[in-house]
Amino acid sequence: MPSYKLYYFHGRGRAEPARLMLAAAGLPYEDIRLEYEQWPEYKPKMPMGQAPVLEVDGTMICQSVAIARFVAKESGRAGKTNIEQAWADMMADGFVDMLNKMADYVWYEEDEARKAEKKKTFFDTTLPEFLGYFEKLLVANNGGGGFFVGDGLTHAEAFFLCLSDDIIAEKPNVLSPYPKLAALVERIKTYPGIKEWLAKRPQTPF
Amino acid sequence: MPDYKLTYFNGKGTAELVRLVFAAGGIVYEDVRLQQDQWPELKPKTPMGQVPILEVEGTMLCQSNSIARYVAKLAGLAGKTPLDQARVDMIMDGMEDLGKKGHGVYWEKDEEKKAEKKKDYEETFLPQFYTCMNKLVGDSGHFVGNELTLADITFFNMTTLVGNYMKLPNVDEFSGLKKVMDHVTSNPGIAKWLKERPETPF
Repeated sequence: MPSYKLYYFHGRGRAEPARLMLAAAGLPYEDIRLEYEQWPEYKPKMPMGQAPVLEVDGTMICQSVAIARFVAKESGRAGKTNIEQAWADMMADGFVDMLNKMADYVWYEEDEARKAEKKKTFFDTTLPEFLGYFEKLLVANNGGGGFFVGDGLTHAEAFFLCLSDDIIAEKPNVLSPYPKLAALVERIKTYPGIKEWLAKRPQTPF
Repeated sequence: MPDYKLTYFNGKGTAELVRLVFAAGGIVYEDVRLQQDQWPELKPKTPMGQVPILEVEGTMLCQSNSIARYVAKLAGLAGKTPLDQARVDMIMDGMEDLGKKGHGVYWEKDEEKKAEKKKDYEETFLPQFYTCMNKLVGDSGHFVGNELTLADITFFNMTTLVGNYMKLPNVDEFSGLKKVMDHVTSNPGIAKWLKERPETPF
């Protein structure tokens, strides 16, 4: 079995989709959470000077989606055919687009007025539009009572859970107009491996 | 009728990577270019209200990088092992970051802020990025393994697109990246496409 080391900070953030897929796969790994003071020492060792990074028997993979997809493949949870893999990838990309829009106002906008404006636009306009697409795409997979792709959990679900955690924290009833998505969140949370991880993972601000 | 139908606007934009991969793989596809007035009718039929879309195997795929990866697999350009594929994916994502940041500068409305951001992007960010990416090129002159992959093609495409409105570092000063660019532009399928592709405003 390869050795896996996941480097990130004390938070869910960009590392959590990979952690969820590692949990679903039951793969043991070193969950390294760096203090900010340690970062200057580690940064030059990382392929693009960023975290998260997954080290697999000494090979370093950066970029959160690339990492999550790799980990998903390790347990056959990245889609079973080319087309399923493309579907899982496209769903994950859609969720990451939403996560990036949130990150834009949470982390990258300093002006308070602009921050509030961007947040309002996100919750009032952008997010509802895309949740509508996501609900429809879920339903397109056999009625939406299962998962986004094929008949099993993929990295699409990992990214969706991270997104829904963040949007529900802000607006608890945000998924009520989207019953299939709301039901899927519960199915992901009780998925073997993920359920245990959610119960024991550190509680962190991000 | 080809098995693959790519739909986008009449430009390079986020579809060009897919077109380059089709070209490198020598795979025939329908290259549909929408007029602006055709878009409102198509939009609700697309998975996420966006283009490019790829119609294939009776379904509609969206998200340009996911489409590119799908086509790369058909063309044998996605990386040979899961770890190689992850390295290809990480290079792709890194290039996406470069493009997004450049985009952010381009679309900055405040003229003073824009000038500041552009200076930082061209004089600090890009040189650092090129230095970092140069280290990731193997002795073969490819980002991953010994053959052309989607990683090499993405580096070529994204830098070419960003170079239309930003001053790029001189790739001749980065021996690894220069080799990557040469490998991409000398690929027969890509070379042919670069000669034949339509001239478009974006």
